[in-house]
Amino acid sequence: MRRLVRFGQVLALPVVLLAVWWFASASSQSLYFPPLSRIVGVFPDTWVAGGGASRLVTDVLPSLARLAGGYAIAVALGIGAGLLIGSSPALRALTEPVLEIFRAIPPPAVVPLLVALAGIDNLMKVLVIVFGCVWPILLNTVAGVRAVDPVLADTARCYGITGPARVRRLVLRSASPQIVTGMRQALSLGIILMVISEMFAASNGLGFTVVQFQRTFSIPEMWTGIIVLGLLGVCLSVGFRFVERRVLGWYDGQRQAHRHE
Amino acid sequence: MLDVRGLRKVYAAKDRTVEALRDLTFRVDPGELVCVVGPSGCGKTTLLKCLAGLLDPTDGTVLVEGRPVTGPPPGMAVVFQEYGRSLFPWMSVAQNVELPLRQKKLPKARRARLVADALAAVGLADAPSAYPWQLSGGMQQRVAIARAVAYEPHVMLMDEPFAAVDAQTRADLEDLIRSIWARTGVTTLFVTHDIDEAIYLGQRVVVLSASPTVVQEDLTIDLPRRRDQLETRALPRFTELRTHVYAEIRRAQGREPAAPELPGVVPTGSEG
Amino acid sequence: MTGRSRGAVLGLAGVAGFAVLLEAVPRLLRMPQDVLPPLSAIVSALAGEMGTADFWQAVADTLQQWALGLVIAVAAGVAAGVVIGSVAVLRRVTASTIEFLRPIPSVALVPLVVLLFGTQLGSALVLIVYAAFWQVLVQTLYGVGDVDPIAEQTARCYGFGRWARIRYVLWPTAQPYVATGVRLAASVALILAITAELVIGSPGLGQQIAAAQSGGATALAYGLILVTGLFGLVVNVGVRAVERRVLRWHVSVRGETAA
Repeated sequence: MRRLVRFGQVLALPVVLLAVWWFASASSQSLYFPPLSRIVGVFPDTWVAGGGASRLVTDVLPSLARLAGGYAIAVALGIGAGLLIGSSPALRALTEPVLEIFRAIPPPAVVPLLVALAGIDNLMKVLVIVFGCVWPILLNTVAGVRAVDPVLADTARCYGITGPARVRRLVLRSASPQIVTGMRQALSLGIILMVISEMFAASNGLGFTVVQFQRTFSIPEMWTGIIVLGLLGVCLSVGFRFVERRVLGWYDGQRQAHRHE
Repeated sequence: MLDVRGLRKVYAAKDRTVEALRDLTFRVDPGELVCVVGPSGCGKTTLLKCLAGLLDPTDGTVLVEGRPVTGPPPGMAVVFQEYGRSLFPWMSVAQNVELPLRQKKLPKARRARLVADALAAVGLADAPSAYPWQLSGGMQQRVAIARAVAYEPHVMLMDEPFAAVDAQTRADLEDLIRSIWARTGVTTLFVTHDIDEAIYLGQRVVVLSASPTVVQEDLTIDLPRRRDQLETRALPRFTELRTHVYAEIRRAQGREPAAPELPGVVPTGSEG
Repeated sequence: MTGRSRGAVLGLAGVAGFAVLLEAVPRLLRMPQDVLPPLSAIVSALAGEMGTADFWQAVADTLQQWALGLVIAVAAGVAAGVVIGSVAVLRRVTASTIEFLRPIPSVALVPLVVLLFGTQLGSALVLIVYAAFWQVLVQTLYGVGDVDPIAEQTARCYGFGRWARIRYVLWPTAQPYVATGVRLAASVALILAITAELVIGSPGLGQQIAAAQSGGATALAYGLILVTGLFGLVVNVGVRAVERRVLRWHVSVRGETAA
C-alpha cells in the first residue's frame, strides 16, 4: 500500500500538469501554442518517418556523436591536466590566474570565433564543446587531487605504492567524487553548447532542425523539437546519475556513515 | 634491527624554528617489542615518521636492518592512529589488506592465503567484503593491523594506534598485539602516551623527555612474559614500574626534582 | 619569501608569460590576422572600441539582462525553495517534476522565445531566468533539507511561530546553500545572456562579438571575448566576496563545490 502511495506521489504532479496542458490547449487557436494533441500527432512523422533518412538518424545522431566526442576529449584533457597541475603547487600557482580567466569566458562567446577558424562543420562544434566542458572538469580535478587525505598518502608511501600505481589507486580514486561533480557540470554545459553551436551555424543537427522549424513557422514540429531536446537532457542526466551511483557507491556510504556519528 | 643514533629534527615554522627532537639514541634488537612513551608534544610522532622514512632527519642517522633510511624502507609496516583515514574507503576490508601485497607482486593464491590468515588473526574472518566505514573504530584499527600483519614485515611501527579507541576495545587490541608479536616474532616499536599500556605491552620502555627531546630513560620491563589484563596489572611490580615511569615523565615536564629509585633493578641505559 | 607571496609572484609570472606567448607566437608563426592576431593588435582594437558609445551600450545591455534575470531567478528560486522545502508533502509531490524539468536545457526554449519576443530584451530575460532559477531552487532545497530537526523542535518548544522558525532556524541553515546557488546562477545567467545575444541577436556583448566576427574584425572579436571573460571573473570574485562577508560566521559545508 505504501509503495502505491509513493508511486502515486511521484506521478501525480507530472500527470496533472500534462493533463492541464492537454485540455487547456485543446481548443487553442493561438499560432504559437497549438493543442498538445496536434503536437503529439506530428511527432512520429517529424522524427521517425523515413527510417534511415528520418531526422532521428540524420540530425539527432550526429548531434549526439558530436556531444560524445567533445565531452570525451574534454574529460581526457581535463583530468590529465588536472592531475598534473594538482600535484604540483608551483605549477598550480603559475597557471591558476590564467586558467581562471579562461574559465570565466562564457563558452558561447567563442562560437563566432571558432566558426571563423573551423567552419560550420563537426570540428567547430566539437571544439566549442571541448572549450566549454574542459574547465569545470579541470578545476574540479585540481581541487580533488589537492584534497587527498595526507594520512592516506603516508600509508600509501609506507607500503611502497608510488608512481603510476599511486595515481591510479590513490589519487584518481580519492579525487573521483570531485571529478564526477565537474563532469556533471560539464555534461549540462555540453548539451547547451551542442545546441548553441548548431543554432548559430550548422547544416544539420538537433539545434539546427529546431531553429529551422521556427523560421519556417512549422510550430507543432518546433514544439516536438523542444520536447526532444528536453527528453535528451533528462535521459543524459538519468544515465549520468546511474553511472555515478555505481562508481561512487563507496562515497555515498561513507558520507551516510559520517552523518550518523 | 632498528638503530637510532643522535637523531635530530628541526622544523622551520612561520617565523621561528622548532626543535622537535634534539638527540635521540636507542636501538631495538630483532624480535623485540619496545614501547616509546613521553609527555605530550615531545615529538613521538615525529620520531616515528623519521623511522618510517616519511620525514628526513636534520641530523643523526636512522638505520633499519643496517641500512640508512632515505625513504619508506621495504619490509616495514606502519599502523597510524587515525585508522579511519588510513584505510582506503573505496575498497573492501579484504581489498585493503591485499593492496600492499599486490604492490609486492605476490601471486594471487599466496595473497588470498595471507589475507585470510591475517583477517582470522585479528578476528575479522567474517567481514572481508565489508567497507571500512561500515565498521566500528576498533574493527577498523583491526583491519589496519591485519594489513600490516599480512605484509609480513620485518619491522612494525605503531603510532598511538589505540588512542582514539574506547578503553575496553583498547584492552582487546593490546592483547591482540601481544599475541601477534608472540606468534610472528616481528620487531615492533609501539609509540603511546598511555604509560600503563607501554608497561603492559613492552619488553622495554623508552621514556622521552619533554621538548627539546632526548631519551630520558631506557627501562627493561621484567614482568612475566605471559601478560594478562587483570593479573599483570594487579602485580605490585607493575605498580612500581608504573609509578617510576610516571615520575620520570613528570620530571621531564619539570614538575618534580628526581624520580624515586626503583627497588631491586638497575635501569638499563639512560640519557646521553 | 613566504608561501603566499611566492604564490602571488608565480601567478603574475604565469599571466605575464601567457601574455608574452600571445604576442610572440602569432608573430613568429606568421599567423594570418584572421586566425590569431598578436596580443598588441587585440589590445589596440579593444582600446579603440572602448572609446565608442556602442561598446558601452552593449556592456550595459548585457549587464542589465544578467542582473535583472538573476534577481528574478533568485527571488523566485528562494521563495519556491523555502515553501516546497518546508512542506513535506509538497516536497515529495514536486520531486519528480523538478528532477524532470531541471536538466532540460534552457536553449530548448530559444525558438519559442524568438517567436514570442523577437529580438527584444525580453527574450533573453526568459532564458536567463529559466536557467538560473533551477540552480537557486535546487540549492535552496538542499539547504532547507539540511535543517537540524533538533534545532527545529527546540524552537517549537519555545513557542516560535512558523515565520519565526523560518527566520531564526531555517534561513541561517539554508544561507550557505543559497549562496552557492546564487554563485552558480550568476555564472549560468551570464552564459545564457551571451547565448541569447548570439543566437537571437538581442543587443549586448554577444551580439557585438558576432558582428565583429562577420565583419572580419577578428582582433576586436578576441578582445570582446576577453571582455566577457573579465566580466565573468569580476562576477565570480564579487559574488565570492559577498558570500564571505555575509557568511563570516559559518564554516563552509555545502552541496556543490569548487568550480
